[in-house]
Amino acid sequence: MRAWLTRWGRRYGALMRNAWLVDLQYRAAIVLWVLWGVVEPAVALGIWWAIARAGPVGGYDRTDFARYFFALTLVNQLTLAWDSWYLDRWIREGELNFRLARPLHPAHEAVADNLAYKARTGAILLVVWLLVALVWPTVRLPVAPARWALTALAVVIAAAMRFFISFTTGLLAFWTTRATSIMELHAGLSLFLAGRIAPLALLPPAVASAAGYFWFPYMLAFPVDVLTGAAHGTATIVHGFVGQLVWLGLWIGMWWVAWRRGIKRYGAVGG
Amino acid sequence: MNAPAISAEELSKAYQVKVRDPGLGGAVRALLRPRYREVRAVQDVTFRMERGEIVAFLGPNGAGKTTTLKMLTGLLYPTAGRAQVAGFTPWGGGPAFKRRIALVLGNRQQLAWDLPAEETFRLNRAIYDIAEGDYKARLTELVDLLDLGTVVDKPVRQLSLGERMKCELAAALLHRPDILFLDEPTLGLDVTAQEAIRRFLRAYRDRYGATILLTSHYMQDVTALASRVLIINRGRLLYDGGLDALIARIAHTKRLELVLSSHVTRDQLAGFGTVLELDFPNAVLEVPREHAAATSARLLAAITVADLSITDPPIEEIIQRAFALGGAEPVERTA
Repeated sequence: MRAWLTRWGRRYGALMRNAWLVDLQYRAAIVLWVLWGVVEPAVALGIWWAIARAGPVGGYDRTDFARYFFALTLVNQLTLAWDSWYLDRWIREGELNFRLARPLHPAHEAVADNLAYKARTGAILLVVWLLVALVWPTVRLPVAPARWALTALAVVIAAAMRFFISFTTGLLAFWTTRATSIMELHAGLSLFLAGRIAPLALLPPAVASAAGYFWFPYMLAFPVDVLTGAAHGTATIVHGFVGQLVWLGLWIGMWWVAWRRGIKRYGAVGG
Repeated sequence: MNAPAISAEELSKAYQVKVRDPGLGGAVRALLRPRYREVRAVQDVTFRMERGEIVAFLGPNGAGKTTTLKMLTGLLYPTAGRAQVAGFTPWGGGPAFKRRIALVLGNRQQLAWDLPAEETFRLNRAIYDIAEGDYKARLTELVDLLDLGTVVDKPVRQLSLGERMKCELAAALLHRPDILFLDEPTLGLDVTAQEAIRRFLRAYRDRYGATILLTSHYMQDVTALASRVLIINRGRLLYDGGLDALIARIAHTKRLELVLSSHVTRDQLAGFGTVLELDFPNAVLEVPREHAAATSARLLAAITVADLSITDPPIEEIIQRAFALGGAEPVERTA
């Protein structure tokens, strides 16, 4: 067991190290990525802040909105996965070739890349949040270790869900040249159904109810609500975690099927 | 009897390719009623390689060389047929199989573009579970053999094509595979770099008994490295055997290369064979293979020559003639 852990620890360490070394070559790109991750929730917060001037909207006052979008920024960056774009390129341009020739499933490189990105960006955003909280008490969260522990668990499951969603969608490149378009459609839907532009409680009841039948709320809105305290009570929390685990299981299943079938269709283009 | 390092039996790969007529109408028809055509990239390829052999896989572009290589390394699933590489079925081989092989593709590189090659080497050390001591010893050996001393710590994007290919080879061989699949390993390199790669491959084979299957467009690679060639065209294996046997089979002529001591006319030379070149003092004649010796004797008696040598036609020409067989004839085996 110890040898197994050492071996995998060394592999993931090496993969993450290389990801960080590449990052260091593109320092400006890191700043742009972080800004890109902040701008969308900042704009949404600005709009809801103005709307809530006269009083609470759907039960959310200005403080709730501020906390929601700060939490959203952090959770979104910690769960974001862009693997479909990588997979699409690896498959269409033959970059999967050397990855398939190594004794390591290509998914491990993608997971390590995700961990490297999330560790780096998450750390930056946490520091930014703490600095803002020093001067703006509105976005301070209560010291509640149990809530933070539940948030950490919900974020880990959400990150795994989003990873498998993105990876599986990228695998569609085995069949179509439009895999990234499908992922863009997914991103568009998640704007509304995952709570990126507004808390789900503010959506029209029919839309909010429909969202509950999909994975969208579990990949973003649920961990955000756990962090801000909007999701409380054992039943709500248990329901959220069960939903997360069911959808994670289903997406892992779809990933497995897509990989097994897709790899047999692989054309291995390019020399 | 030892199991062969590589064996392929009636290996075939067919692709479904979408076809559409030109123009907007064609695009709409293709959308409404897509049509597909089957392209047989590789058809019933059968051969085997013993441990320590270096075999060159030759064929024009699109002949099926790289597709065969990709099936033998497990990247592609065949449509039909069987293969065994190092005792594994490649497309189900898993990590244990991949530790035994190396695949170097000419224009798809594993080196991280923005980092020094050394970082990819370290990554491969972790991926292949190479012990620190072994890693250091092997890296020192590869750096020495490939003359990479001043190269490994420079970002890959700053390296020349030849330096990059040498680093690719080092990255692919750190885990010391015993079967190497090399697709155009000298493509685009200058003569010095090509020779360095050839020298290295010979040394690696001699040292570790490695089996090497390589594709190349450079005949020097073939003549310098391979004891045997496989010729493939339009997906079918046309020839499997030694270079000498191929020359004897395909080349029905020999060349007499002369250095003349005195001027002769083209007509005078034409009496001995087909004059391919006459640029005093050099001349080249082509004569039927079986008459080469007798014609040489007649020439020496009739004309004053400073030097005469009998050679085969250039290997490029012979290979071109073999390609031209185009699958009309069954595979010729001389091995």
